[in-house]
Parts: sequence; structure tokens; C-alpha cells
Amino acid sequence: MSTIDVHNVWKIYPRGNVIGVKDLSFNCRDKEFLAILGPSGGGKSSTLRMLAGLEEISKGEIQFDGVIVNKMGPAERNIALAFESYALYQRLSVYENIAFPLRARKLKDVEVDHKVMSIAKLLDLTSILNKYPPELAGGHQQRVSLARAFVRKPNVTLLDEPISHMDQRVRAQLRARIRHLHDDLGLTTVYVTHDQAEAISLADRIAIINQAELQQIGTIEEIWNQPANRFVAYFVGEPAMNFILGELVDQQHVAVAAAQDKRVFEFKGQLKTKPAESAVTIGVRPQQIKVSRTEPSTTAVAATVKIVEFQGETTVLTVTLADRAKSDVKVVVSSGEKIGTGNNVWLHFAPDIIHLFDGETPVLQRQIG
Amino acid sequence: MAGVRLENVTKRYGQKTAVKNLSLTCKEGEFFSIVGPTGAGKTTILSMIAGIEELTSGKIFFNDYEVSRLPPQERNVSMAFESYNLYPHFKVYDNIAFPLRAPRWNLKLSKQDERRRVEQIAGFLGIEELLDRLPQHLSGGQKQRVSLARALVRQPEVYLLDEPIAHLDARLKFSTQTLLKEFASKYRSTIIYVTHDYREALGLSDRIAILRKGEIEQESTPEELYNHPVTDYVGSLLGEPPMNLIDGVMISKENQTYFEVHDGALIRIEDNLVDAMKNTARQENGRVVTRLGIRVEDIRLNRQKLSDNSIQLPVYAIVQEAESSIVTFELKESFLHVRTRSDKGLCDYRLSEMLWLEFDQSRMFFYQNTVDLSKV
Repeated sequence: MSTIDVHNVWKIYPRGNVIGVKDLSFNCRDKEFLAILGPSGGGKSSTLRMLAGLEEISKGEIQFDGVIVNKMGPAERNIALAFESYALYQRLSVYENIAFPLRARKLKDVEVDHKVMSIAKLLDLTSILNKYPPELAGGHQQRVSLARAFVRKPNVTLLDEPISHMDQRVRAQLRARIRHLHDDLGLTTVYVTHDQAEAISLADRIAIINQAELQQIGTIEEIWNQPANRFVAYFVGEPAMNFILGELVDQQHVAVAAAQDKRVFEFKGQLKTKPAESAVTIGVRPQQIKVSRTEPSTTAVAATVKIVEFQGETTVLTVTLADRAKSDVKVVVSSGEKIGTGNNVWLHFAPDIIHLFDGETPVLQRQIG
Repeated sequence: MAGVRLENVTKRYGQKTAVKNLSLTCKEGEFFSIVGPTGAGKTTILSMIAGIEELTSGKIFFNDYEVSRLPPQERNVSMAFESYNLYPHFKVYDNIAFPLRAPRWNLKLSKQDERRRVEQIAGFLGIEELLDRLPQHLSGGQKQRVSLARALVRQPEVYLLDEPIAHLDARLKFSTQTLLKEFASKYRSTIIYVTHDYREALGLSDRIAILRKGEIEQESTPEELYNHPVTDYVGSLLGEPPMNLIDGVMISKENQTYFEVHDGALIRIEDNLVDAMKNTARQENGRVVTRLGIRVEDIRLNRQKLSDNSIQLPVYAIVQEAESSIVTFELKESFLHVRTRSDKGLCDYRLSEMLWLEFDQSRMFFYQNTVDLSKV
């Protein structure tokens, strides 16, 4: 069993009285892969360092398996750490790098050898055990760093942006490897990243931290479908969610003020509160908007294609809506659809893709599934 | 604006050849990208067009006018450097205004016109609030946008942009990329753009040259490069994840040709692909081996066997994307990634579960092996 419980944790840096982390509470379940996601300077690294025991906890407590670890050093917490910079010992062979944490614990040579060989096999490092880090490419170095982190069965594995700077071929492989190791070894993993795609790809749940505070914790579906606030809605997803000015018509309909008339869309879900003046911000994800070249219905809104960005399997369109604000909206379409700059198109917002916000606050309880 | 033509351009540094007998044409008003890894010669090419580096041999033309021997100030180009090259003692405003004041271009703008031009481009790139600051008070991403604004503020014959958005964080990078594309199409600018990031190049360019060790491997539209990469190298550069490359044995039995993806897992190859297979085949330990390239979206997964184009493998790992998942399988010499879209959220496949993989024959390519496939 390995669980992490973070209870009302604060990090206050005495110099300048800067609040790094504010009243943070979350948990990580046994064998869970949890990502801590947020922009740089938002508090995620302070959180990781407090989990690792590299930084003191100003207030609150952290428990591993129900035991308070506030006063324990990194070694006592039995954690494995891998950072973006590999921090390998340049003068030690790959074998000795991996063996290092075991030797530090004074394991017998046979035991060391057994453990090193088994993790090396799992990570395909057997053939390079006698090499030295300077001889290795970046991807291989990172793999050695992961092997060193995973060689003894830790209570908790903490990974800090270990693959975000790799090229896409290496990244795809390392993502698969990390997720495989996590599942295969039954680890409890906390992964810190600023890259929302990385968090989505690896984690079972994501904790989003911004401006020292937890914004939301949940599965990808929960965050995708019911973001806790506009920051989360915008931060997760690429291209980001579009925001369009609208006004509420009734409990089930919202309108966009088009050039000539109003375009009314049905939405699904329960309105939580009705904003004053009934002005709302409509949120729609670029991946969920349907585009057609001919007007499909009266519930579609006209737009002109401004920019076309080919991305391979998909193409991102930036279109200018024929609404009063002339909003720019991004739409992801399959590259098979031949749509060019200057084309007139119609955007269709299905009832179940609409999010509604009053300022920063979501006002629509969406029905999922 | 002008078109740019390079004719048999070579650049040597001592014994080392950085650019090898390279010819390319960027038409007037075209957005042309040069893509390749570090050290491929991208920046050298740009520097030769700008006149900062001399040519060892060959010629460079702007339209039909040869510029090969002209000093940089005689070539009407605007350049943005990856390293920003901002003037440290000038405020952001004066850095951006600098090219407008250069006597060489004889623009003689009034103070108001200058301010209007600077504010317009700064507003476009979202840095209007920085105009009164000094470069030392800017973050890397802000400096980079200032450098880009300085390059775009004046209309030259050709813009030369070297990794101009490489140091922006992801969200800003994508939005600035869209702005650049808007700028290019609005002013019908000739832009030669250097990047190592294939996504930028695909999104921005009319045409792309893929550079490898000082030579062009393929020059084409983004769609053509993505859909018909001519070598395994091009395939391995483009896509997220990039094209799968699999080395396998070619097997003939009973008038049928098969490709062995993994220990005994064969796919039947349709007749029209057999020639391509034979042309790329090589002998290896007494077997005939070739390299298959197939994109992650061109393999279908299923719990049941669908056709003879299918093989069965255990799931190595599953990672998610916003609206799809990447399922990875482990082969002897490489990983195989497959993108799967499910109508409702997550795919429910499990680690080690045996799945059938169906290869789309119309989207299969065979290549000679020119890149190292070793697993990372």
C-alpha cells in the first residue's frame, strides 16, 4: 500500500513573505498515477519538493500510508525521484548509476546485481550497462535515470518533467515506457508537468495548481467535461477552449448575437445560477465543433475561414464568426475535409458540447455521458 | 517582395561541409520552411541568404537579380534570430523602431508614423505593454516576441526567420504561430522560416524542405510530406507520434507475399505493394528484410480478427490524448504506436490484453533503412 494525503499544506517563504502553496489538500491513491499540472511559478514544484522532503512544510501535514512524514528527510520517506535533468554520475558506468541507491543502502552484491539486471531488462538497458553517461544520447540517459529511480521498490515515485524536452519520437516511447512501468510494477506515481498534453497522456487523475492554489483535481473526463473554472477550461486542451459572448434565452437555450439575427442553441444540463442581465460566455472546444460548407440548420452560425493550419491527421481552422463581436474561433477538422482560407462555413454547436460561464465561474452543471 | 532562388550552393568550414550543392526556390509571396535537426545546416542557409555567411560556391538570386556577392546591408532582408540579438541599451520601442530608422532604407517616417507602425506590430504580437522596458527586464519569451516584431516592422524583399518562436511556452507558441500565418497571408510576404519543430512547419508553410546533413531530403507541400514521405527519415520526423517504422522479413509462400511484423505475426501484402517491397529489400543474416512505414492513425485495433491484414499483439501501454488514445505494442526492435478513437472517452483496453491490429494497405510505405530505429 502506498497512499499520499496532503492536508491543508502551506508553503510560505519567509523572505518577502511569499506564499508558494496555499492551503493545499489532495490525495493520491494506492497505485494511482497522479499528475500535478500548472503553469510555471504556480506552486507545483514547491508541492513536489515538499512531497520529496526537499523543502520544509510551513503549515499542514503530509502523510504517506497514514504516517505523517513532515519531519522525515528524503531518504526516510522511501521515494524515488527523477528530474528533467538526468543528474547521472558521469564517472560511473550505467550499471553503477542504477546500482547507486542500492549501494547507499548497503545491499549485498548479489542482491544489487539481481535488482539492477531486472530493471535493466525491463527498460532495455542490458546492452549498455558498461557504457558511461557521456557516451549516451539524451533519450538513453533519461532511461538510465528512470531505471535508477525505479530500481528499488519505492513507496512513491516522483517524476519532475522527465520527458518534456525530448523530441516527439523519443517522447512517444518514453511515455509508453513510464506508463508501462507504473502499471507493471504497481507503483504510486506523482508526475509534475507544465505540459497539459503530458498530464493527459499519462495520468489517471490530474491536480491543477495555479497561483499557489489547487484549482481542480479529477480524471481527464471530469476536467474536460466539467472544468471547475475558466482557467482550467482554458488551460487543458490544445487548441484551447473558445469563448464566445452570448445571452441566455431560457433554461435550455443560449443565443449568439449574429450580424443579422440571433442564433439560438440548445444546451444540455442544469443551470446552476442565472447570471445578471443574462449575459454569458459560451465555451466550446475546438475538437467538438462541427463544420459544414452549406448551412445545415438555423442553429448554425456563419463564419469565414481566416487561417488554415495543417497538422497532419487534423487541421486547425481559425474562423471569424458572423457575430457582433466578430469573434475568432478555432475548430479542429479532419485533414480530409478540403476547406481553404476565405471559405464560408457554418459552425454547429451540439447541445452536449456547450459550456457556460459567468465571468470565471461555470454556471452550467453539464450532464456527462 | 521577391522570390529567392539558391543554385548549387555549397558551404564548407575547413574540412566540414555544412551545406552540400543545395538548390531551392522560394516563390514570391511564399511561406517556405526549412526543417531539420540541430546541425543539419538550417541556420547556415539562412545566414548565406542574408549575406552574413559567404558561399563557398553556388549562387543566390532575389527574383532574377544575383545577390551572392552583395554585403548584408545591400540585401533587402529582415531577419529574426533565435538568440534575439536585441540592443541592450535600447528600450523595446527603439529596438522595434530600429529598422525603420536605418538610413539605408530611406523611409524618413515622421515620429507619428513611426509610432503607429511600432504600436501596430507590437499590438499584433501582444507586447504593446512592454514598449517602455529594457531588454534585461524581459523574459526569454518576451525578448523573442520583440525580436520577431523588429523583423516584421518593415517590409523587405524577404523575411528570414530563424526559430522565431522556439522559446515561447506552449500556449503562446501556438497562438503566435497563428498570428504569423495571418501576417503572411495578409501581406503576401515571402518568408523563409527555419525550425526544428515539424508542427510549426506543417501549420505555417506553403512548402517545406526537409534538410538532412546539408542536403534536401524532400521538398514539398505539408500535405504531401505528411501523406507521402519519400524516405524513412522524413516519416520519422513528422507526426505526433511520428510514423511507425518496422523492420521485418519478407516472406513468399503460395504466390502470396507477406511481411513479418513480429515473431510469426504476418500481414499479407497486396500485389501492388510487392514491387515497392522488393525495391527496398536487403539481405540480412540470410533473410530478406525491408522497412515498413505506417502512421499511427492508419492501423485499426479490434478485439476480433478483421482481415488477413491483421496481426495479434499484447498491449504494452496505453496513454491518452484529449479525444483519443495511443496504444503501444512492443516489437523486437521498435515500438508500434496506434491511435484509437472511441466515441465515448477512454478506450477500455487493458495492459497485456491481446488485440488485433489491422494495417491499412493503402497507407503502407516501404523504405530503405536510413535511420537508426533503436528503442529509446
